[in-house]
Amino acid sequence: MILLAYILIALLALAVIGFGTTHRWMNGACVAHAFLYIVLTLYILFFQQIPVASFLIGSQYFFMDYFGLYEVLIAAVIFTCAAVYAGGYVESLLVSGELEKGSLKLFYASWAMLLLVLALAFFCDNLALFWICAELTTILSAMLVAILSARENIDAAIKYIFIASASMLFSFVGLIFLFETSRTILGTGTLNWTVLMQHAASFPPEMLVAAFSLVFIGFAAKSGIFPFHTWLPEAHAKAPSAVSALLSAVLLNVGIYGILRVYAIAHQTPAAAAIAPLLGLFGFFTVAIAAFSMLPQKNLKKLIAFSSIENMGIILIGIAVSTPLAIFWVLFQIMAHSLTKASLFFSAGILHRQYRSRLSTDAVDDIRDVFRLQPLAAWGIIIGGLAITGMPLFPIFFSKLFILLSVGTVSLPALFILLSLLFIAAAALGYFVITAFSRTTEPGTLSDIEPYQTPLTMKIPLIFLIGCIIFLGIVFTHGELSFLDRIVQELRF
Amino acid sequence: MTDPALIEGIIRILLVCVIITAAYIISTRNLLSLVSVYSLQSVTLACLALALYFLESSPVLLAIAVVTFLSKALIIPYFIATIQEKVRIKRDIEFHFLSPTSSLILSMALMLIVYMALGRILEGTPVRENLFFFGAVLGISLMLMGMMVMLSRKRAITKVLGFLSMENGVLLFGMFVTELPFIIEFLIIIDLIILVLLTTILTVGIDSTLEDYQKRLHRFHLWQGSEERP
Repeated sequence: MILLAYILIALLALAVIGFGTTHRWMNGACVAHAFLYIVLTLYILFFQQIPVASFLIGSQYFFMDYFGLYEVLIAAVIFTCAAVYAGGYVESLLVSGELEKGSLKLFYASWAMLLLVLALAFFCDNLALFWICAELTTILSAMLVAILSARENIDAAIKYIFIASASMLFSFVGLIFLFETSRTILGTGTLNWTVLMQHAASFPPEMLVAAFSLVFIGFAAKSGIFPFHTWLPEAHAKAPSAVSALLSAVLLNVGIYGILRVYAIAHQTPAAAAIAPLLGLFGFFTVAIAAFSMLPQKNLKKLIAFSSIENMGIILIGIAVSTPLAIFWVLFQIMAHSLTKASLFFSAGILHRQYRSRLSTDAVDDIRDVFRLQPLAAWGIIIGGLAITGMPLFPIFFSKLFILLSVGTVSLPALFILLSLLFIAAAALGYFVITAFSRTTEPGTLSDIEPYQTPLTMKIPLIFLIGCIIFLGIVFTHGELSFLDRIVQELRF
Repeated sequence: MTDPALIEGIIRILLVCVIITAAYIISTRNLLSLVSVYSLQSVTLACLALALYFLESSPVLLAIAVVTFLSKALIIPYFIATIQEKVRIKRDIEFHFLSPTSSLILSMALMLIVYMALGRILEGTPVRENLFFFGAVLGISLMLMGMMVMLSRKRAITKVLGFLSMENGVLLFGMFVTELPFIIEFLIIIDLIILVLLTTILTVGIDSTLEDYQKRLHRFHLWQGSEERP
């Protein structure tokens, strides 16, 4: 019944947003909402018997296991940071007239709803219910993209909805297959993940391959896997930066979460032997497309978006290897990517505010004098960039290293190709940063750029996240490791 | 009164109707009739659910029939029609990669492929045998035809109809293959309504010929110039 607490908090936040008259109130409600989710999730982790089963409407539709709690914790942390960040960011959108005051309520209401639906999605035991929640996250996040009501934003949002929802319909057909399989084997049909896991070994592999392939289409589209990734760069680049951070750091995880859950069922049968190469192949294509698209990229936010695609590809490859070690580091990579990517989008947002007048979302970024104007954002991009490419002492270094090592045990040529692709991606990022950040105006000529006064609320989450990344890369606590271990056990890899 | 053979005959006829509506959605250029054909397709689906209810007498099917009729035959078409009046476009003449004729031929080929693929996958399950298999094949085909509409049309509002037709295909497939719990079906409808609401409202932004909307969009392009407040 603790699930009701999540719903209650969200309703309270929505009420405050609904009745609140000032921006400060609405923003405060969102910050408090996400922060209470962190507290609640930590409370469950430390003081409750896991998995927590909650019985609703006669059947077990929801449950809380370590995997779900892990994802909710990541989501809540990112949402808290993003909500604090949005305080300053949205204010400046209002001042510049990009966001209308009337849309403010809608923006924050969708924001709070999105967090609620995300939490519910991660706590779904019933896969069909999870599917519905995942659909709702698409709709709500598309609303956040479209809120700026510039034409290109609407274009991006519509593309996002169409690609994600149409692919998700295939997923649903896959779920119907799964349901029918369980009905022929168990007598009564069920889509409850826990039940399916118990009986997975007795399912016919051919049906599972068909079901998984269909389910994969939808969740691949949600997490930006090739060839369904086309919506991702545009939606990420055109959304307000606080929203881009959510899209990349939390919403992509929904797709990966779904793939992992359903793959865990297939993994109990010989079907896994047929599915794993498929996943690996898609993973490689995804990394390759991302790496080569990053090379000519001149727009910072698009570059970061493509780097998200690259990371999702690596995660998919890790899942394909499907040894316990690989899955462990896939889970770690999910967290590390979320934190790093959110910090990168926060920095990019500050730069976007600084150079906005010269910078339509499609245009080449005209970044100059960056260390004089925005030293914090510049260092944020540099540190975040180093972290995302997997430099040592940052958390992604470890996850990438171990996923690569696991790939090496399967096939050495694959390892070699993957390494060179990662190198290309890193080079693209490095090239962009070096050229953009070394651009300065001549000392004699007067610079016409006014420094943008970055509000404190935009700086604090950025500094906090960078602190988190550095801490996570250096210190591995026992609790953290055993937490991840438990998830691997839950998924029975 | 419920003679199974008669009902099976009715189901066959209704399935043929569904395919005819799908073919019409693929090929027509008239936006207003698109909406009414979609509404007709949904009514056919509701009738199918009703016929299946007489065959299997499970109350879920009855509920599905009612909900489908209310949401997809009345609410959604009404909403889209209202939006269309606002947008003031009557025809969608432009097609992307496919012309209507070639997409019709393609959809026939797709149906054949789906028939063969499903035959292999569903081999050994009780569904394989009869009418239900036929319904499942048509469900998936309808879904793929809807996807073709989404791919080949340029206007966002036609794409919405393609998506809705896809969703009808999933419903058809679900009805014939298995029996999902009603709450799931119900939630999907809710999800669908929200999605249609949002996309059509956004569509006004893209497809619109309304002047005030144009103006509003214009402001954002001009905003670089008017920004020079101190």
